[in-house]
Formats: sequence, C-alpha cells, structure tokens
Amino acid sequence: MTPKDGPTEDGQDELSLEARLRRLDEIVSALEGGDVELERGLALFEEGVRHIREAESLLSEAELRVEELVGEADSLEVQDFEGAGQ
Amino acid sequence: MSSVEGDGTLDLFSQPRDDEDPGLQAGSSETTPDESTIRIWSVSELNRTLRSSLEEAFPQVTVSGEVGNWTRARSGHCYFSLKDDQSQLRCVMWRRDAARLPMDPEVGMTIRAVGRITLYEARGELQLQVQEVEAEGKEGLWRLAFERLKGQLEEAGLLDPTRKRPIPRFPETVGVVTSPTGAALRDILTVIGRRAPWTRVLIRGAPVQGEGAAQKLAHALQTLASSGKVEVIIIGRGGGSLEDLWAFNEEPVARAIAASPIPVISAVGHETDVTISDLVADLRAPTPSAGAEAAVEDGMALKEALSRVRPRLARGLRFQLRHRETRVTESRRRLEAGIRGLLYPRRQVLEGRSTRLRPALQALLTPRRARLVNHRERLVPAMGALARPARMKTDRAGERLEQAIAGLLSRKRERLATAGGRVEALSPLATLRRGYAVALNEEGRVLRSTSSFRPGESFRLRVADGRIRCEVQSVDPDDSILSMDRGTGR
Repeated sequence: MTPKDGPTEDGQDELSLEARLRRLDEIVSALEGGDVELERGLALFEEGVRHIREAESLLSEAELRVEELVGEADSLEVQDFEGAGQ
Repeated sequence: MSSVEGDGTLDLFSQPRDDEDPGLQAGSSETTPDESTIRIWSVSELNRTLRSSLEEAFPQVTVSGEVGNWTRARSGHCYFSLKDDQSQLRCVMWRRDAARLPMDPEVGMTIRAVGRITLYEARGELQLQVQEVEAEGKEGLWRLAFERLKGQLEEAGLLDPTRKRPIPRFPETVGVVTSPTGAALRDILTVIGRRAPWTRVLIRGAPVQGEGAAQKLAHALQTLASSGKVEVIIIGRGGGSLEDLWAFNEEPVARAIAASPIPVISAVGHETDVTISDLVADLRAPTPSAGAEAAVEDGMALKEALSRVRPRLARGLRFQLRHRETRVTESRRRLEAGIRGLLYPRRQVLEGRSTRLRPALQALLTPRRARLVNHRERLVPAMGALARPARMKTDRAGERLEQAIAGLLSRKRERLATAGGRVEALSPLATLRRGYAVALNEEGRVLRSTSSFRPGESFRLRVADGRIRCEVQSVDPDDSILSMDRGTGR
C-alpha cells in the first residue's frame, strides 16, 4: 500500500473543506498503515496538522451567508438576500 | 324547435305562408284576448330570468357521469359533456379552475363534476359550470396523472436508481429553489445556519403553486443548476394539499431535475407526501428541514472528528518511525544471512577446485619434465660433437621451456596461493601445513581409501613443502564405519 499523492503544498489554502478532509483521510491512512519514507512521513504529518488547523478555523465561522441569484442566463447576478429575516 | 324551424320557413318562403295561416292565426287569436294579462318575453329576457332561477336553484351540484368529448380551447377553458345511458349535460370549466387539473379526463372516464347549473344565454343552452373534477374516487385524477407521468419517466429511464448521484458532503454553496417567502426557506436557512454556518446559501425564488408554477420552478432550477455557483440544490416547499404540491408532480419540474448537472435534493411537503420530483431527484428528503440536513454536514460532529484526527496523525508518525527502525534491523539481519548464504557455496567450490587443481597440474607436468630430461640425456652424447650450436640452441630452448614451465607453474602457484589465501584456513595447503599429508597415485589422483593401495605399488605423498615417493608395504583397513564410508564413497 503506497500513499496516494494528492494535492501537494501548492494552493493548500485554497482547498475546499471537502478536499481538505479527504486529504486528511489520505494522510492519516498513509501514516497509519502505509510504508512511508521518513522525510515524507514528517511532511505528511505537518501537512495534516495544517489541514486540521485550516478546517477548524473555517468551521468556527459563525455567520451564514444568504444570497439570491437574480436575472436571466446572460445577466445573472448574485445579491444579498433580503428576505432571510422573515 | 319545430316552431323555430316553422318561423324560418315562413321567413324564407312567403308562398306557403298562406297555407299555414289558419294555424298561426288560430294560435294568435287564442293569445290575443289575453295580451294585456300575459307577459311576452323577449328571448334575452327569458334566458336571463331562466339563468338566475337556475343558478339560484342549483348553486352547487355534484354530477356523476361519463365524459363525452373533452376540449381544452386555446384560451384554456375546457368544454365537455357528461352523459349516462339516457341523457347528456353540457359542461364548461373555466381556465382558472381547469388550470388546476393535473390532466384532462379521458373520454369515457367516469368522473364527478362539482359546479353550478347555469344557462348560456347567447345560445339558450343549459350548462354545468364545473369548478372541480374528481375521477375514480377521491384524488383519482391526480393519482392517475401521477401514475401516468411516473410511467413515462420510468420508461425514459429517469427513475433508474443508478442515475442517483451522491450528495457532496461539504458543499461550499448550497442552492435553494423555493418560494422566497415560504416557511420552507426559513426552515432550510435555520438548519444550515445551525449545522454548517460556514456554508453559503444561494436562493433562486419561484412560486411553488398556482398557475405556471411548474414551469417557473423548472426554469429557476435550470438557471441555478447551470450557473456553476452551487454544488447541490434543494428544491421544495412546505406542506399543503395534494393540489398545492402539484407543481412538484409535473413534468417540467421532473425533467429539469433529471437534466440538472449537479445533484438535486427534493424536499416537498410532509413526510407522507411523495412527489414525482422526489422520485427523480438524487435524494428525497421528507421535509425541507430534512433536505437542509442532508445537504450539509453537522459542524459539531465535524469538529469532534477533527479533534480525533490530530492524535491519529501523531500516532501514525510514531508508527512510521518504529516501522522504519524495525525495518533497518530486519534488513541488516537479512543482509547478513544473505551474504552468508552467498559465500558458503562459493567457498566450497573454491576449496574443491584448489584441491583438484594442484594434483592435476602435477600430473600434467611431471611426465613432461621427465620426458624432457630423458630426451636431453639421449640427445646430448649423440649431438654433442656434431651440433654444438644446435645443442646450444636446444639447451636454450630447453632452458626457455623450463623457464616457461617454471613461470607457468609459479603463476599457477601464485594464483593458487591467492585463492588459497582467500579461503584462508580452509585451503588444503594450510591443512598440509598443519601436518597433514595427501596420498596421490601416479596420475595425481587423491588416494582416500585403503582400497586404493596395493602392497608393492608406489605412490606419492604430498606434504606442505614437497612430495615424497613412497611404496606400499601393507594395507590395514580400519573397521570404523566412518572410514568405510569414506572409502566406498569415491
């Protein structure tokens, strides 16, 4: 079992929560079961910790953003949704 | 009817009028005396009056009958007749009411029409103005329309379970198609706000009931789904009557859901309401709140899961370190074992070779040397006087030959010694040096057993620093099993 090379260091901050959690899964299973080079093991560990931190900070965001898609196909616009408080 | 026809005939043909005059006259003369007391209706007047009294007398009737012809005009109004085996009744259903019908009843279908009796004044025709139509028991027509559309969609493969796509677990943006003012939207926003406040919700509002609702819902879904701004869409509304929910049982909505490039969660009404859009959607949620729950993961559970990942990472890394350590130790052990395995057979081969090489060489060289000496001894007296130069040449050749042989021998010896050195103590020379001797016959073959010796025969003894010519005096075999074995082994 070799660890899959998912996304690497680049653009990690732009990852979606889903991609981040999937990557975390990969990292954990690679470290727990796989045979990983020492250097790579350390890098995976650090990457994992970074993902956890990023995900936790995202999860602590408290404000739900509600918007409305208006207009037609050629002129679609996203506006703040006014009726959310109703 | 006949009098109207008679009047028409009279109008067109003046001649027969005289013939029928008496009858008409008689009729007129009959009524003439009461002209002041009898009311003469104009047609319009009469129809208007009939209409009011009919409407007053039958403000609401439920009529059961078989559908005759059914026509839906371009205006949206529906005209049809109800009949039994003896009579028929003209019916009309205005667009406003007809638009709510899930489908047009089929000719020959037994229905119940609820409406009021009226008179169409312009034609003087009695008609039933139908507000509601029921077929085959309560909600029969709806059930029928439902089953029919379901059948069509099934045939088109749109209800195939394999078409269902997984709902993304952590969407960044959830699309919602519903009424912007409905309770459903409020429920959805509440649930997402509680469970996954990091999510963005993008709404595309559409009426969820009333005329054209299905088309508008379908359009809203198409627009949102193809906008590329959302990863999953919840389409739905709160509870209501079957008729209220009907837009979600209509083909435009079903087709739009099926055509959506992204997964759709259908969340219509209450738990018990199953709509066509539920069947086509990638996921059916029993209520809008449940739809929102299905669309986003619970943040609390996620945080918990994340907090469990951290120690797992650390454990994983420790495991890797231990694993590598074990592997290094293991590798070393295997390497050592491997080297030993590699060396042993080679050492044995080398040993065997050096044991055989030396006697073989001896066997090769000895007779030649002896022959050479012999030749020289015979040649020298014969050629001495005659061919001194030739003799000298022969001498030189002999010397060179001897040198060559000696050189060859010493090179072989050197190589042997080197090989011997490599195998160290296992070299036969070293063994000889320890005081052992090897018995060889004239061919240089090793004599290992008493059976190889015959009294009176000569053999040679190889010791560390040379050879000794010997003669067998007597042979005394040992009774030891060990020596027997060795003796018979070769």
